[in-house]
Amino acid sequence: MTNNVLEELKASIPKELVEEIRLSKAKSNIVEIVIKPENLRKIALHLRNLGFNYFIGIETIDWWKKDNTFELIYMFSSIERNGQLVFVRFKIPRDNPVVDSIHDIFPLAYYQEIENYEFFGVVFRNHGGLRKWILEGNWDGPPPLRKDFDSRKWVLEKYYGGKRYERPI
Amino acid sequence: MVLGAIILGLKYLFTRPYTRLVPEKERPFKTETTRGKHVLYMDKCTGCTMCQRVCPADAIQMVRVEGDWKRNKKKIFPRIDLHRCTFCAMCVEVCPTGALAMTDITGWELTTEDKEKTIYMPYELSEPEPPYRITVSKNEWLPPPPFYSKKKLIEKTSNK
Amino acid sequence: MGLKTVEIFLGPQHPGAPGNVAFKLTLDGERVVDAEVVPGYLHRGFEKLMEYRWWEVNVVMAPRFCVEDPDNFELAYVLAVENLYGIEVPEKAKYVRTIIAEMSRIQSHLFWLLFMGAAVGARYIPSWAMAAREEILKWYDYITGHRIYHHYLVPGGIRWNIPRDFRERTLKVLKFVNKIVDDIKKALYENKIFIARTRGIGILKPQDAIRLSATGPVLRGSGVRYDVRKVDPYEAYDEVEFNIPVGEYGDTYDRCLVRLKEIYESMNIIRQLLDKVEKLIDDKHYRYKIPLVAPPGEGIGRVESARGEYIVHITSTGGQTPYRIRLRTPSMPHLTTVIKHIVKNEEVTIADFPIIVKSLDPCAPDLDR
Repeated sequence: MTNNVLEELKASIPKELVEEIRLSKAKSNIVEIVIKPENLRKIALHLRNLGFNYFIGIETIDWWKKDNTFELIYMFSSIERNGQLVFVRFKIPRDNPVVDSIHDIFPLAYYQEIENYEFFGVVFRNHGGLRKWILEGNWDGPPPLRKDFDSRKWVLEKYYGGKRYERPI
Repeated sequence: MVLGAIILGLKYLFTRPYTRLVPEKERPFKTETTRGKHVLYMDKCTGCTMCQRVCPADAIQMVRVEGDWKRNKKKIFPRIDLHRCTFCAMCVEVCPTGALAMTDITGWELTTEDKEKTIYMPYELSEPEPPYRITVSKNEWLPPPPFYSKKKLIEKTSNK
Repeated sequence: MGLKTVEIFLGPQHPGAPGNVAFKLTLDGERVVDAEVVPGYLHRGFEKLMEYRWWEVNVVMAPRFCVEDPDNFELAYVLAVENLYGIEVPEKAKYVRTIIAEMSRIQSHLFWLLFMGAAVGARYIPSWAMAAREEILKWYDYITGHRIYHHYLVPGGIRWNIPRDFRERTLKVLKFVNKIVDDIKKALYENKIFIARTRGIGILKPQDAIRLSATGPVLRGSGVRYDVRKVDPYEAYDEVEFNIPVGEYGDTYDRCLVRLKEIYESMNIIRQLLDKVEKLIDDKHYRYKIPLVAPPGEGIGRVESARGEYIVHITSTGGQTPYRIRLRTPSMPHLTTVIKHIVKNEEVTIADFPIIVKSLDPCAPDLDR
């Protein structure tokens, strides 16, 4: 079943848009598509036309020490294909993290992109509503989930007066 | 239908109420396995600080207790803040000598008006107020569960 | 839209708000024309906190995203770690974990009945649902040692063995719950007022539900037969038989009905598994201890929680702690895209708004994390 999807994706998606289509290392029933960041919108449209129209979420991984990039993983699924998961992954430079928004193709992406913006500082082009959303009113530091920033230490210094234990020992 | 309702109403007129009078008449609800306040066996503790390192809520700190401890050369014992404790029993599980255990002292018995009193020093932990029952101790994990290794995985898959 | 629209704030302390979350409503007279969710009242930064703790200790963090359905959330994390380590759990642990997760689903749906009953003004439903849930919580207390957050599932199995009277206890609880759910079915689902207030409002068509990424009972209430337990079976779900209840029209009543039917299906699953556990009751083999240091790689846990599809994606670089954990929680689409779609396409008055929100069963803590 998964192998069929793998073959189908290999046949139907143009070769110049993707770098690699493979089975996931974690679970063998997930197909991973490695692409270049500029082809994201085309791939998203392709996947939607192929029936992968059930958008699940966006994940950002901060590879700060490894190669100074953000890795973005877009998760798609398909109801008509028995919940087959497809991960689209690519890397963008950490100094200039800009990527196209896909919120007009998948409505939930609008909120997932806000979340990734406020926790990692990834900027989504043509989004139009990037702001602090979950963190509004209770965080004024840099994006908290970045690896080069020790948010735990920052919280202790800012909100707890430098004490690990907020009460006298 | 009306008769049935009247009978049901009369039945509940003579049953006990679902609410409980804690602490006047009864102790808080608990079962044989309810996890509650810790108990520390100070003669077993070696001061290895494993409980402090495993604690997910940062509730355990090691403090120095003067005295003649044969097994505890550093003379450090855990001090537990029940204000932070989540009663997950990770410290009981990880303790190599079985010096920590959990009792069923919980709920109303642990309430206090003074926030400072939620920190329990080693001596206080070693003598909990009766009546209590040990609910989780190292015995739960004796014999220890088998350690998972690659060899076992191969054996297991070849059996199938 | 009229000449004058008013913006009001609903929640987080409003009785019509679904927990610790607020809505910014745009009103045109009585009609709600736009609803924007305002989250962040319960943000605790779990994705970051879990990066500081050991693999096994994170079990304590994993259930705390959602008070109402803790065990499915715990199970997803545990499955992801097992996927990363590449281990298989003993058979006994597999069955017990499935029972614990299904009990959590029943408990969550009963908790939802409390809110739903309160929203439509059926004041007797909350106390009945709570009485049934209380029995389940006592059962949890006996099996796991805690009432709400159990910390019972652990990577490699279950933390300690089950008691010998596991089967009798569970059957007793199921009998009690079954009786009360039967009563609720009669008193609420056949009630004229309840039907009048829920039939035909908050309609979500199947193609819209898929486009807006609705999951769980909301998706099934729209008539899409999709359940992770069937399409990607984990634990012991491929060994039991159960149906996936779906709705007909996709309105509020259908979503409520799907949840009620799911309670019966869950009880059915537990009864089937109890026989299998009974055969293994003397088995001492219930857990593997995992090594402290994980191999580098990725792990994925995917479960059908009471609110929908929940995915945990773990990235490890080979250390004692995770490098990154991504939690895709099921409440986000319901509170954002789905509710926005409903108020834009239908005449929703402010009196109906809480009922529609409650019928989506959002859990604010798992949106914030």
